[in-house]
Amino acid sequence: MIWKVPPEASTIDIANSCFPNLQFYEIIMQRLSFDFPASTVNLAKIGELAAHAGQKAGFSNVNIGDIQVAIDEACTNTIIHGLEKDSTRMFQLIIQWDAGKIEILIHETGVSFDPESIGLPDIEAPLEDRSAGGLGIYLVRKLMDEVKYSTDEDGVKTLYMLKRVK
Amino acid sequence: MNITETTQDNVSRVELEGRFDANTCGTVEQFIREKIKEGMLQFVLNMEKVPFIASAGLRVVLVFARELQMNKGNLCLANLQPNVLRVFEISGLKNAMRIFDDMESAARSFND
Repeated sequence: MIWKVPPEASTIDIANSCFPNLQFYEIIMQRLSFDFPASTVNLAKIGELAAHAGQKAGFSNVNIGDIQVAIDEACTNTIIHGLEKDSTRMFQLIIQWDAGKIEILIHETGVSFDPESIGLPDIEAPLEDRSAGGLGIYLVRKLMDEVKYSTDEDGVKTLYMLKRVK
Repeated sequence: MNITETTQDNVSRVELEGRFDANTCGTVEQFIREKIKEGMLQFVLNMEKVPFIASAGLRVVLVFARELQMNKGNLCLANLQPNVLRVFEISGLKNAMRIFDDMESAARSFND
């Protein structure tokens, strides 16, 4: 379900009281939030949602493809490494966008994983020397403009990714 | 993921249909593993009907290409859609893998 979230009344009030003579522009971000079980069966549908969001945000088809790869890799990592493919466990996926950018957040409480700790694959290496691992997170970093990973005091881990329309 | 296969001149032509991601890569892996067990050493994957590939799919392709190369076999790819080719390119696999524009050039490459 897709809906617009207008600024709260209190936000409009404070904007009007601080700058009564200025017109302010509403910041309207669209947001989709889901709880998914840790299973790869939903990856295709998640890709469809990402394409929709990317299109609405104004991305080119090539960049929509990039966003689809990044969200697929991020969710796959969460499902396989964070939640160890245990489909009784859930993760929260948030896709939010406005004209010009998309943000993707994944919240989960699984095994700690710091993308910074994964070494970059040697993408110049010949076939026989290529490692099959580490490509997923490499793609996420390469395809998105910002990638951050954090853990809050309750142990909830968040992967945040942002891409801007260029 | 649907897989159909035909063998011609000792080359297994494997046509994949569907997303090649963490959810479907196991099906492809199992299929090729079976064919290798039967003694097949040369493969062309027809990617014409693969609209999307993730690193899980890249990994399967990479592992078999490397393994077959070490056993005097070969695995090459043909008919990649532009966005799929882009993922190979960004991962640095475009040059490491044998990628062809169509099935015939891919099959011909085995005679070289």
